[in-house]
Amino acid sequence: METQLIRSSKPFPIRRVLSLIPLYLVATLGAFLTILPFLWMVLSAFKSNAEIFSYPPSIFPKTFNLDNFFKLFEMWPFGSWYINSILVSLISTITVLFFSTLAGFAFAKYDFKGRGIMFGILIASTMIPFQLILIPLFIQVSRMEMINTYAGLIVPFMAPAFGIFLMKQFMSSIPDELLDSARIDGCTEFGIYLNIIVPLIRPAMGTLAIITFLGSWNSFIWPLVILNSDSMMTLPIGLARLTENVPGKSRDFGVIMAAASLVSVPIILVFIAMQRQFISGILSGAVKG
Amino acid sequence: MSVNSVANPPPRVKVSNPWYKQAKIAPYLFVAPFFILFFTFFLFPGLSALLLSFFKWNGIGSPDWIGLRNFQRLLEDPVFWQAVSNTIIYMLASLFIVVPLSLVLASVLNSRSLKLKGLWRSSFFSPIVTSSVSIALVFSILYSRDYGLFNAFLGQLGLSHINWLGDGNWARVSIIFLIIWRWTGYTSIYFLAGMQTIATEYYEAAMIDGANATQQFLRITLPLLRPVILFVSILVTTGSLQIFEEPYILTRGGPANATLSVAQFLYSQGISNLKFGIGSAVGLFLFITIFSLSALQLRTFGIFRED
Repeated sequence: METQLIRSSKPFPIRRVLSLIPLYLVATLGAFLTILPFLWMVLSAFKSNAEIFSYPPSIFPKTFNLDNFFKLFEMWPFGSWYINSILVSLISTITVLFFSTLAGFAFAKYDFKGRGIMFGILIASTMIPFQLILIPLFIQVSRMEMINTYAGLIVPFMAPAFGIFLMKQFMSSIPDELLDSARIDGCTEFGIYLNIIVPLIRPAMGTLAIITFLGSWNSFIWPLVILNSDSMMTLPIGLARLTENVPGKSRDFGVIMAAASLVSVPIILVFIAMQRQFISGILSGAVKG
Repeated sequence: MSVNSVANPPPRVKVSNPWYKQAKIAPYLFVAPFFILFFTFFLFPGLSALLLSFFKWNGIGSPDWIGLRNFQRLLEDPVFWQAVSNTIIYMLASLFIVVPLSLVLASVLNSRSLKLKGLWRSSFFSPIVTSSVSIALVFSILYSRDYGLFNAFLGQLGLSHINWLGDGNWARVSIIFLIIWRWTGYTSIYFLAGMQTIATEYYEAAMIDGANATQQFLRITLPLLRPVILFVSILVTTGSLQIFEEPYILTRGGPANATLSVAQFLYSQGISNLKFGIGSAVGLFLFITIFSLSALQLRTFGIFRED
């Protein structure tokens, strides 16, 4: 039926092929421009400094050498930054998943006093830009002596309104009969959460997990504010640190590109593998239907 | 939004149930972590930001009440106004370049004739997941005046080199290119999703009537996407008003504050110089601007509708 329609409206195959040219031209040009910086980053990581600062620039490194990577680990605590980033992102993701599903469950499946107001507060909080609370939050966190700690990075963001909203949306479709029959079987409320809700909501949790992990991995302004020692830094802060003039350490673009590649490439690969969940996560927070 | 949630409550937990008591307490326990964190790390700091903006304080000793002087000093500070005008430029560029470009990109990705969709999508969406710091660093090399790829390309075309990051106007252009590169794929996700909800019957009917692709886009796609376009516009507006990483890494706000953003101004005043009062006043300014726009967004489209 479809093909029939297309054929009848475009009788000449040549015209049809010609009409594809602008389409593929736009797509190819766009994709090329998008990927170029990534390519440049990875290729530069293998170039010597002399080669990076040569004119005209070479596209492929003359020899693929790993010097920049060795120098990176020698000059900077890059290994610690990596471990910090992985730990902070993982712990953030796990706590966000737990608290978001828990509160989402309450909002989706219970009718309790104050629910409407509480949900209103939750939604209203998503409209507060982070910059408004940046300075007082910094004061608050230093009062609680969480400056330069994992806790300072993780605790304030453990129960995000966005995550709760997202989980609530997905849970609304779970039939109440399922929960009621579990109650009759003597299941506790937390038992219902653990044994019924969590298994059913697993795909949505995957979505939230990816978004949270990425957000935490790439987070910049908050870690920049509260981290002050080289050894505690997460990767984005460490990367920015590489570009500063540090006494006794030269700014080395090859090293910077090696670091940037090690930060970005694994994440891009994860993204390509889990693209579908990531995109559905972005969308489910906003446009529906 | 609270009105909506009251209007459409979930089914009541049965009151006659022997587990009634537990079911009554449980939801409060479940939402407690959110509210504890919200009050400690959101509402309390938010309210103190409001208060702090009337004080002069650098974190040592006790804050001094100075009334509206922080706001007055802010309004008299030419650097603040420079930051505001730069940020408005970033916002306008995002609105009038990123939004139309991502519409085009989405319609290309939505085209039935395009094969290997997964491959195209992966490449267009990859900037979203990459650390903005890595990206800004790569761009700083691409923009390099003497060794950068962009100038080498201009040289090949016989054009003279541009001092991308050293000249005030070009530095702003450089930031805008980075914004375009980074956000076009992201916003196109929304358009793509919107386009996929448009029933194919419309297009089939249009084809029977002899409408070409451009006419179909202008007469069917655009009008039906109107809510999504408005939503994305506001998303982009609020996002670009908070821009920080791109100018922070690429130019440090320079040369001579030509690329400084409001968020960056807030950071340098409030955190680097420990002028908590001034910083909070900037935060309040950003909040009022963004809140009015978000409120508009909620009113217009009911984004967080419960149903």
